[in-house]
Amino acid sequence: MVASRFISKLQRYEGWFGIASGLLIMVGLYLGLVTSSPDYYQGEVVRIMYIHVPAAQSAMLAYTVLFGGSLWYLWKRDPVVDNMCHAAAGIGIFFTSIALVTGSIWAKPTWNTWWTWDPRLISFAIMLLILVGYVMLRTFLEDKEKEATYAAILAIVGFIDLPIIHFSVEWWRTLHQPLSISTRGVSIASDMLIPLLLMSIGFYLLFTYMLMVRTQMLYLQHLLEAKRGRMLSKVHL
Amino acid sequence: MHFFNVIRWIAWKDLLSELRNRENISSMFFFALIVILIFSFSFSLDPKTSKELMPGIIWIAFGFTGIIGLGKSFLAEVHNDCMEYFQIVPAPKGAIYLGKFAGNALFMLIVEVILFPLFILFFNLDVLEKIPMILLIFTAATIGLSALGTLFSALTVQIRAREVMFPILLLPLAVPIFIGAVESTRGVFSGDPLPLYSDWIKLLIVFDLIFMVVSFWVFEFLLDY
Repeated sequence: MVASRFISKLQRYEGWFGIASGLLIMVGLYLGLVTSSPDYYQGEVVRIMYIHVPAAQSAMLAYTVLFGGSLWYLWKRDPVVDNMCHAAAGIGIFFTSIALVTGSIWAKPTWNTWWTWDPRLISFAIMLLILVGYVMLRTFLEDKEKEATYAAILAIVGFIDLPIIHFSVEWWRTLHQPLSISTRGVSIASDMLIPLLLMSIGFYLLFTYMLMVRTQMLYLQHLLEAKRGRMLSKVHL
Repeated sequence: MHFFNVIRWIAWKDLLSELRNRENISSMFFFALIVILIFSFSFSLDPKTSKELMPGIIWIAFGFTGIIGLGKSFLAEVHNDCMEYFQIVPAPKGAIYLGKFAGNALFMLIVEVILFPLFILFFNLDVLEKIPMILLIFTAATIGLSALGTLFSALTVQIRAREVMFPILLLPLAVPIFIGAVESTRGVFSGDPLPLYSDWIKLLIVFDLIFMVVSFWVFEFLLDY
């Protein structure tokens, strides 16, 4: 069976991803939090960037995996891919929340507010809502195949909508008031860039590791449910 | 069956049943009235602030009443076991979607046209020469809302927590419609020249096209299960 071979591959290689991500994140954290210099304008607050940016990138990666997997599922109807989508959505919620919370903590000393109606903030908040809606929809549907199909449809529609939401909010804000602070166009010093890169790669690997573990878990759960159903039907017969 | 005939008949039967039983239309009307009243209490509207808040209030009222109607769009089909017939009927599945969508959009537009005099009355609006523009905005926003709403109504109709899940799925994705509709309505009523807010109408139209096409395509997969 293809699915079981895929799962055993995941089982064999997941450890490497876990170890690599752990090492990279530890080195990145050390470089970022201890040895790198504080920012000229923002001071020590800038160090939250080493968590915030990689978390946001991993959240977007999670949604991209979810979108690709959903398209793949609608095309091939492969249940393992559906398990992977389900896993990616849950992990996406985790990373999106981290990005939102750390961004909010960073915004308080820098912009002097916990929350502002910035396009990127709103897009991320809406992405969180879509992912939560996705997981909720899945818990409410009982039939497995229906659950997978409906969830894939929701993920695809949501993914197509995200850039439209982003641009419409950006447009709306710029028409009302110009952004007071722009973080773009600031070149970054190399002693800040290296830990940021390490953390980004580390978070990507962490995402991959979590995805591998969670996909296996969901797959085994479904297998168990299927077997239990078969046994019960035998008892009743 | 011919593609357009399917669309026409499904839309027609939906409209007819909505207009005949009058249950939805009257509940939506009174719900919108209550929304307006609640707004006027909670913001203690004087003429100046009411001018500023009016576009938002219009679209919150229309959006929420629309949710009441759209959420029930497939309910009658489930109660009468028609979902199975949709699955086996020898008609293109996309046409079934477009039929349901057209019925919903027309019904929502009828409700909006009935409700709009209330806003003219409460907010003291001048509308006469602006009617074509207002109709265009209402139509564009309603098409977008019903394109997504029809799809999500079909997604959520067979689950336990239907009433909760439908708005939870629909509202975040409908953000561009609300922004576009509110901004263009504000533009019309504050008497701005068209180029100042025409971009918002274009946004609405692009949104409509994208989500009609996407929903048309995914609906086939939805009806398969």
